[in-house]
Amino acid sequence: MEKKPIRYHQVVQKERFETHSIRYNELVETPDSAFQKIKLSRYDAWRLLKPYISERLGDQLRAVLPLSIYLVLFQLIILRQPIVDAGIITAGLVAVVIGLMLFIEGLKLGLMPFGETIGNKLPQKSSLPVLLLVTFLLGIGVTFAEPSIGALKEAGANVVAQDAPYLYAMLNIYTETLVLMVGVGVGLAALIGTLRFIYDWSIKPLIFASVIPTLALTIYIALNPELSSVIGLAWDSGAVTTGPVTVPLVLALGIGIAAAAGSGKQSMSGFGIVTLASLFPILAVLMLALYVHSAISVDEILAHVSDIEVFEPAWYQMTPSVEIINGLRAIVPLIAFLGLILVFLLREKLANSRVIMLGLGLTVIGMIIFNLGLSYGLAMLGTQTGSTIPAAFAELQGIEGSPFYWYGLGIAITLLFAYLLGFGSTLAEPALNALGMTVETLTNGAFKKQALMYAVAVGVGGGIALGVAKVIFDWSLIWLILPGYLLAMMLTVISDEKYVNIAWDSAGVTTGPVTVPLVLAMGLGLGLAVGAVEGFGILALASIGPIITVQLTGLAIRLKVYWQEKRLQVLNAE
Amino acid sequence: MSVEKKITILTGVSLITCMVQKGKGDQIVAAARAAGAQGASIHYGRGAGVRDRLGLLSITVEAEKEVIQIMVSEEQEKEVFVRMYEAGQLDTPGMGIMYITKLDKAAAYIPPHILQRIEQSHHPR
Repeated sequence: MEKKPIRYHQVVQKERFETHSIRYNELVETPDSAFQKIKLSRYDAWRLLKPYISERLGDQLRAVLPLSIYLVLFQLIILRQPIVDAGIITAGLVAVVIGLMLFIEGLKLGLMPFGETIGNKLPQKSSLPVLLLVTFLLGIGVTFAEPSIGALKEAGANVVAQDAPYLYAMLNIYTETLVLMVGVGVGLAALIGTLRFIYDWSIKPLIFASVIPTLALTIYIALNPELSSVIGLAWDSGAVTTGPVTVPLVLALGIGIAAAAGSGKQSMSGFGIVTLASLFPILAVLMLALYVHSAISVDEILAHVSDIEVFEPAWYQMTPSVEIINGLRAIVPLIAFLGLILVFLLREKLANSRVIMLGLGLTVIGMIIFNLGLSYGLAMLGTQTGSTIPAAFAELQGIEGSPFYWYGLGIAITLLFAYLLGFGSTLAEPALNALGMTVETLTNGAFKKQALMYAVAVGVGGGIALGVAKVIFDWSLIWLILPGYLLAMMLTVISDEKYVNIAWDSAGVTTGPVTVPLVLAMGLGLGLAVGAVEGFGILALASIGPIITVQLTGLAIRLKVYWQEKRLQVLNAE
Repeated sequence: MSVEKKITILTGVSLITCMVQKGKGDQIVAAARAAGAQGASIHYGRGAGVRDRLGLLSITVEAEKEVIQIMVSEEQEKEVFVRMYEAGQLDTPGMGIMYITKLDKAAAYIPPHILQRIEQSHHPR
């Protein structure tokens, strides 16, 4: 380096930074200074909190904002309808953002340390049967705590008992049992997924063993005209389960157990539980439908409906108390369960209990606010858009000038809207981004992150478009699910184990707590508007889509690699 | 005495080490490079201590850290140091800590034409 007499930047620096030195010893003079609490001025506390909050708020805004703007613009521009109750919906969406932010952060601070401690310590202290029991119960607990589950309950209000009595009964009379059965499905999935961790089972037989009976039972139920309306609900519930609570908590436990007891060489061990957790609940809900069918007759259900309409809602059935109660009921049992395991099975104390308490508090408050936002933001917006969509291609009561477009064009616009909704919201899902990075690493770069994300997004978009078509034309869901899953299973037979894992998991990852309620509500609103019996099934088809597209992409990649090698051989021979 | 290989030793080198919360490293490295640093190595670690003393506000401080190490010339060290301090907002509690260590010797690949130029300036004709 050349030396100059005066360096300009040193002059500038002198003006901007006045440095002075103190001896470090002066700072640490008192012997207990390392344990004294740091007193912060308000300004410093704010400086710490501001980036912390804005970063987390931004995450949720990115999930909620584009999707809602898309729905609103579609309704305003294409459907030319004003947003009814725009103020309430805006407030609701704000509640969703804040609620999700608090909930996710609370989850990280409060529940995850529980899950990690239990995952690390329990395998050392307990036998395998106890471990599996805990895993199973945890699966049930996390299902109740899953924010999207609230959307499923919410959906019950829109079903007309006369048209689909058993669907109505399951959503309104057996609500808690329904969630419990979904939970049992997730619990079993967690249990078997953990066994898979330990014994390093291949995923393919597990998929066949769970898909084939589920399809068989679906066919059986489809043959019963009274029951066939529950198929959509059952297949949708699979998509609802794998959200921000289930996946990390169950995985933490599973990985902990595998590390303590497993064969130790599983690069794909993180996969599989999500797949099973979206398949088993379907089976469980279908079985519940059979039980409900045998336990209660159509007349009894209709009698129940007329009973209900007489009552004024009590204080605990009104907003906001019902949201508060639901929020508490969702989280508190899970916390209690984890706490009991910690105290009685592990006899451990959690470090930093104040932060954990804060986290648990945030989880509960976040859940309550999210539930409020779910009812008044996402569900209202989704229902509204769904119920005005048919105005594009059919005459709709109360909407002047409908149909706005020639029938075929209107249908095309609607399906394109549905496709873009699925495509866009999937690409925006942070979980998919994370999955994409994992996949790229696991496949040594053969499966590019972008390729996976686009494959999944195309699959979800196509699935949602197909689901919307199903609701509009009132197709029977089974004729879509059966061929879809048969194709998916055929691809599974010929695909690599790696790609099978990725494909079946990517379906569960994409259905986040914002997309699920919106799509559910949209489907139900659409169903009501076109006079379909039920509007379920969109999510179910959105889950099959990526399974097929990702496996196809996997095959294409294999083919490409094969041709490259072939060409290389030819070149070498020359 | 026969010489097998010639190694150029660099002297007058300082090492700036800066530990910040995970995710904040990139902006600090960018500031350091803008101030004249050649490059940086970043590794990950965990911190302990300050978070316990912050009470509930500790949730705003990530325990996972990035450790940035940058080698600079002694002439550059102060400029780079303050720029990094500024970019990392190290005047905020819990944000991080940085220090400079004097390095005795360093060695790396030096482009031949640069080496030649430097040697010419040492022995002017």
